Amino acid sequence: MSGEALQAPAPLTASARLDRLEAEAVYILRELSFYKRPALMFSGGKDSAVLLHLAMKAFAPSKPPFALLHVDTGHNFPEVIAFRDKRAEETGLKLIVRSVEDSIRRGSVRVASETASRNGAQAVTLLEAQQEFEFDALIGGARRDEEKARAKERVFSHRDAFGAWRPRAQRPELWGLYNRHIGVGENMRVFPISNWTEADVWAYIARENIELPELYYTHDRDVVRREGLLFPVTAITPPQAGESIERVPVRFRTVGDITCTCPVESFAANAEDVLLETLTASVSERGATRMDDRANAAAMERRKLEGYF
Amino acid sequence: MDSASYFPPAQNWSGEQVRFMTAGSVDDGKSTLIGRLLLDSKVLMLDQAAGLDGEDIDLAALTDGLEAERAQGITIDVAYRYFATPRTSFIIADSPGHEQYTRNMVTAASVSDVAVIVIDVARVEQGQLKPQTRRHAAVAALMGLNIIVAVNKMDLVGWSQARFDEVRAAFNDVAGILNIKNIAFVPVSAKRGENIVNRGGPDWYNGPTLIELLEDTPRKTSLANAPLRLPVQLLLRDGDIRLYAGRIESGAVKPGDKVRVGPGAFAATVAQVRIGGAGVAYAEAGASVAVELAEDRDLAQGGVIADNDVRYARRVVADLCWLDENAWTPARRYRLRQGALETQALIENVRFVRDVSNLDNVPANELKLNDIASVQLAARDPILADLFAELPGTGAFVLFDPDTNQTAAAGMIREIVQ
Repeated sequence: MSGEALQAPAPLTASARLDRLEAEAVYILRELSFYKRPALMFSGGKDSAVLLHLAMKAFAPSKPPFALLHVDTGHNFPEVIAFRDKRAEETGLKLIVRSVEDSIRRGSVRVASETASRNGAQAVTLLEAQQEFEFDALIGGARRDEEKARAKERVFSHRDAFGAWRPRAQRPELWGLYNRHIGVGENMRVFPISNWTEADVWAYIARENIELPELYYTHDRDVVRREGLLFPVTAITPPQAGESIERVPVRFRTVGDITCTCPVESFAANAEDVLLETLTASVSERGATRMDDRANAAAMERRKLEGYF
Repeated sequence: MDSASYFPPAQNWSGEQVRFMTAGSVDDGKSTLIGRLLLDSKVLMLDQAAGLDGEDIDLAALTDGLEAERAQGITIDVAYRYFATPRTSFIIADSPGHEQYTRNMVTAASVSDVAVIVIDVARVEQGQLKPQTRRHAAVAALMGLNIIVAVNKMDLVGWSQARFDEVRAAFNDVAGILNIKNIAFVPVSAKRGENIVNRGGPDWYNGPTLIELLEDTPRKTSLANAPLRLPVQLLLRDGDIRLYAGRIESGAVKPGDKVRVGPGAFAATVAQVRIGGAGVAYAEAGASVAVELAEDRDLAQGGVIADNDVRYARRVVADLCWLDENAWTPARRYRLRQGALETQALIENVRFVRDVSNLDNVPANELKLNDIASVQLAARDPILADLFAELPGTGAFVLFDPDTNQTAAAGMIREIVQ
């Protein structure tokens, strides 16, 4: 794979730019040494896989000085969970899993139905985990190109004691001289790959030969067509009345909660293929795959105000 | 207009990356210009472009992302956007034009190579630029950026070459006072998409389009040939080997180099340089590295690996842009961050506040939000005596308020006080 990546056609080798983005991310990750109890949000998805790879580079040959934290909605693809556990074991980093299921049992989260999206509930479980472990910095793989509200996010994004993001009170951020200071009970959300695009991520995965869950590459899957999207058919997402199941070659552009993550038709079998598809995509990552952001133009912004990552 | 045919899939890709900021007074057409750049570069995804059909495309609606902004019809914060041409990929730091948010313009400028200043040609009267345009020029000059002036709404003045020349002359007058070099001018109509990405407009203009200027404008001079400055973010260990990890802000480093490690400026020799855990023969400005020294030196987090001629100072004259809603008063102490170092600092006196609307210097004993001032500042620990104009990576600093943790000011070192 890596040999092939190095021989990719000239216009696709954006090595200088990837070097710059990598150096910037490594610099940001090293800034985390300021904190007593940082954690890296690791779901097993592609952005967090890239983030973990960067963290290993940033602190080599030492281990990154943080735990991995996964907020499990209980609606994850089993392949992704298996990959999450495998990477944690390979890196030797401590993996902390806190689940929305436990929050439901505690009563801090109520769900409308067993198959309702648990994406919003993640924020509650995340804040509970943060308080339990007294994390003072949470590192995430969010990118500014994902969504309009993300475009305004700082690299070091200050959160108050309720975990809330207040766009009007954001600290100005200059020259990479990051303001890392927090008050009691507050925390920092840190986004080292803010300036990466979806294409950058795939180019980097190809160049660095970063392993991902197989879901990201072409495979045949049972789906139904609904609202212009392909909906995966699973035990918790059965077809609705009148829908017919098709078996389609697909891959996932993003692997979140099963109830709201849709694959796209694709024959892309490796990172180079996916990069080519990404460069010619006509629908954004979230637009193609996420049901929950479509209801309202400000859906993401609202969830962020409530503590969503 | 059929959106499906208007947005053929064509996101491009290349290695070159230019980071630029945009500035423009309210209603000069900055948001429309960015919308036009995104639209005509064909980077918009179908879902993002939904609702843009029809004769009067509201290009500005693309850039105002937050609910509060849509409600108020203004842009309140810096947004970062990404697009590419076949030659170059771009990051736009889209900063608000509203006067009260000048601090956001400073924020955007600090991460940019080039500033695009948008001026509405119809609103330049008798050769007078608006105060806000002078402010934009002053901030860009302060931060050492190259400037592209996009003279907008040329269609509304019949593409009058005389009006274009008038704006250019007026801006050049201001640039002369501010000592700005490297300025390019381009006549455009953002609304009609002329000379932004696609050519258009009059016969008398044969120069480059805005996008060509962005691709070609000289970036900030490469800092690879400047003196070495490697602020140490943290120490890493490989068995008994101690590695000093940080990002090279200027200069270059390779095994065998004779260096000074500070703040004591002790002599040392570079034994090895690593990137991502692997040894390399050479690394230059921008690279995040880990360096082993041949000698055992007292070098901690916040220290610096530097050239032989490095100097330190406790007292400097600096330009400050005040970013905090809490005003400065003489009793206040701050945390100063330069490179990886944090120490205490005190503003000993304000030499003057620069009225950036008329470029006059006026006396002051208070610094308020959005003020740009020249001050004398004293630090508790020695800081690098680097001038921002020569070494922007370490000639810059920020001040934090120790009580509120707010980022209080952006600073640029202009003189060393002996």
